[in-house]
Amino acid sequence: MHEMSLMSGVFEAIDAALEAYQVPRVTKVKLQVGRLTNAEPDALDFAFQAFAAGTPMEGAVLEIELVPLAGCCKECAREFEIEGLVFYCPECKSPSIHIVRGRELVLESLEVEA
Amino acid sequence: MSDVKEIKVMSNLRTANEIQARDNRHTLEQVFVCNLLGSPGAGKTTLLERTLAELTARAKVGVIEGDIYTTKDADRIAHYGVPVVQINTGGGCHLDASMVAAVLPRFDLARLDMLVIENVGNLVCPADFDLGEDIKAVVLSITEGDDKPVKYPLIFRNSKAVVLNKLDLAGFTDVNVSKLEQDIRAINPEAEIFQVSCRTGDGVDRWCDWLLSNLKQTGTAPNIN
Repeated sequence: MHEMSLMSGVFEAIDAALEAYQVPRVTKVKLQVGRLTNAEPDALDFAFQAFAAGTPMEGAVLEIELVPLAGCCKECAREFEIEGLVFYCPECKSPSIHIVRGRELVLESLEVEA
Repeated sequence: MSDVKEIKVMSNLRTANEIQARDNRHTLEQVFVCNLLGSPGAGKTTLLERTLAELTARAKVGVIEGDIYTTKDADRIAHYGVPVVQINTGGGCHLDASMVAAVLPRFDLARLDMLVIENVGNLVCPADFDLGEDIKAVVLSITEGDDKPVKYPLIFRNSKAVVLNKLDLAGFTDVNVSKLEQDIRAINPEAEIFQVSCRTGDGVDRWCDWLLSNLKQTGTAPNIN
């Protein structure tokens, strides 16, 4: 259900991006999806197929780049990948972490038949 | 075969919600806003009822009730004599900033100290949609199991307060409450954790005092009716 509402946003963004073009067919849609968005690639793909039916996106490949979760320590400024969702700096052990990557939800690009 | 060309877009899908959330935050500048989250059955509405019973004499509180289809929760809240507006998402699994913006004109915001927005019961997506609130608070009943923070870390990470509910049932479950607190702190070391029983009322006063400590001083004086 979550992925369906996210995908409805993706299709709004696709429509906005294609407004300036006459595109008969989109062959690929690239998304950046952060690990922290709780979006499942399989469910996103299912939602994509559902929204694409009967549009120029029908049959297109959905390519998802999963962006790992990364933090920056507020104490020592070290940047690191947060593994196992344990929010401690591996360097100075501070629990004060600013999330710098992993929340992305970005329509990166479209491949279209020209 | 026709040529394939790439159109670079780089469109952030969060932008529309984030802009609306910022507008809401501006509209609600004088009001302390709490986005109340948690699973169905965690006790969000019961906590809210207990909270209203305690706070209505001390602050002017308004409530937005998010629900998929029904007005059951808003009906319960209306008994406390506070302004309440129901939002039905019609199948949607979370509230977004534009749904909240649409109902804000129904409140006399100049007369409110606090607005509680009870989100749709769900530990997943409400965590990721800013409504323009000052804080998120998540209610977790211990009967849901002590693995929930680790399984749904985002909501615990993003919440300023975690209310552990149904503590009166601790003896009937295998839940290890201190392990649960430890897991929450590993995900969100700065979280305020409250142990309550909304059935008996235990611990609710501490939560209410904490809410009151968040009120914005620039608003109306809370004790004067």
